[in-house]
Amino acid sequence: MSRFTPPSASENPVRRYDIWLWVILVLLAALYPFTQPTTARLLIAIQMFMLITLASNWNLIGGMTGYVDFGHLTFFGIGAYTVGILMTRSGEVIFAPQLSFWQAWPFSGLTAMLFALTLGAATLRLKGPYFSIAMLATLLAMREIVRLFTPLTGGGGGLDLPPELNRIQEYYIALGLMALSVGLMWWIRNSEFGLSLLAIREDEIGAEMRGINTTLHKTTAFALSAFLTGLVGGFWAWQNTYIDPDVVFFEPRNLEMIMAAVLGGLGTVWGPPLGAAVLYWLREFFWNRFLFAHLLGLGLMLIFVVLFLPGGLVGLLQKGRVTSVLDLWRLQPAHEEET
Amino acid sequence: MSTPILEGRKLTKTYGGVLALYRVNLSLYAGEILGLIGPNGSGKTTLFNALSRVVPVDEGHIFFRGQDVTDMRPYQIARMGLARTFQVIRVYRKMTVLENMLISRPWRDVRPWDLLKPSRHDIHRRAWELLEFFQIAHLAHMPAGALSGGQRRLLELAMASMPDPDVFLLDEAMSGINPTLVEQIKERIMEMREQHGKTFLLVEHNIQFIADLCDRVVVLHQGQVLAEGTPAEIMDNDDVIEAYLGV
Repeated sequence: MSRFTPPSASENPVRRYDIWLWVILVLLAALYPFTQPTTARLLIAIQMFMLITLASNWNLIGGMTGYVDFGHLTFFGIGAYTVGILMTRSGEVIFAPQLSFWQAWPFSGLTAMLFALTLGAATLRLKGPYFSIAMLATLLAMREIVRLFTPLTGGGGGLDLPPELNRIQEYYIALGLMALSVGLMWWIRNSEFGLSLLAIREDEIGAEMRGINTTLHKTTAFALSAFLTGLVGGFWAWQNTYIDPDVVFFEPRNLEMIMAAVLGGLGTVWGPPLGAAVLYWLREFFWNRFLFAHLLGLGLMLIFVVLFLPGGLVGLLQKGRVTSVLDLWRLQPAHEEET
Repeated sequence: MSTPILEGRKLTKTYGGVLALYRVNLSLYAGEILGLIGPNGSGKTTLFNALSRVVPVDEGHIFFRGQDVTDMRPYQIARMGLARTFQVIRVYRKMTVLENMLISRPWRDVRPWDLLKPSRHDIHRRAWELLEFFQIAHLAHMPAGALSGGQRRLLELAMASMPDPDVFLLDEAMSGINPTLVEQIKERIMEMREQHGKTFLLVEHNIQFIADLCDRVVVLHQGQVLAEGTPAEIMDNDDVIEAYLGV
């Protein structure tokens, strides 16, 4: 006789309370503009939402799949320049009609994704620090390419995008992007695809021997992450109304998305949003108090987290529990066999 | 004689200047239990890695179910019905025992969109049954890294059994497991062979285990096949006694 009762078909294998909590938080955030906040406060919220989105997207490839991408901002830049070029250079340099933001925006994600598929075919063959350095080199190279390709990108002079300055609209777009990205991470984490990504992170050869097509899985994760990051880049370019290589490929932004994921908890669904929110607040704090040393403060904090909180804030909150779980149902022994 | 289910022909593999395998031929027939023995460094694990395509061979060919799989990737061979364990245990240490089992899911009839859903109930059920058989069901929600060496061996065996493969390559799978459980696993292997026609290739240093279970034994020495025969023939072979037993 079995000592454990097998799962019944009616039982749900995934806990959903956390995603409902997320939905409630997003709905509450959607009500915020009705309190008539100042433009500055709306801008702060937009920036925080973008950081959460970037950290969650980075976490898909860096945290869940274990490919620590030091050059993920490349996709943000590609997204930003795709929107910038399609909104300002169409008809002049490229033979396409000038597009509105809403027409151009989907292409920011698609271009970033296509670039990721091409780049990933080469870089995802590399492991560990070799992949990280290859991606960092890609970021630096892309910035110089954009700077040199003046007819299309405007070079160092950048591109001026037509301003709309509707902060409430921007707020809802940033909120929607964030809700979508985090929700997608939750879904992936609870799926067999997510489980396979975690297996690749832990032991890629072992994952292959379990029948997982590791190339397909990690390329899909890389491309999806790039797509969403490209969308953020496209949106950022539009709401910023100006782009140039230095403001788009801005290294601290690259560092912050990684730091947020590490601070919150690599490979977890809720770690990067939590880490990004805390990091944003800390950044403002350091910026206000120690203007000339704020990056030093953030750097020291990252060292502290890596050394003393390897599981991040989520790991700290869940001390004693496994943080890298899919939150699958916890089936307890139903009854012991009588002997 | 029937066609082997798994066959290596003239397999050669070098690491730097070291010849790990040299023109090794090995045939494994459906329903057979074949033992692979040899002193440390004789090439047993390299042969396992070559047969499962974890490492590419320099020369030679590998056939699985009559198909040349020399250029295939490990996941393709795994999906064709070959499972293996590793000499150095490969479990996902940061994930729970149950998650380790779910990762090792069967791949038959899987559609791409199935991967976007949580693991199916029948996969959960199979995972629990195997965990129970290998007596580690009570550890299902523990991280695999917290298990003892023997328990991790059992988990790896359970993971290998998860997709219901036809061929098992077990690399020193009994080391660190208590003798009572070794006996039970031995019975299970026999049962799987007798009732389900499963095929096993075993690397073991436990000679008694090999003698009790195997139909044939292949002895590797310095990357080459030294002898091949029934366990009794191998035990009486002077070359084997000299090379392997050191007597």
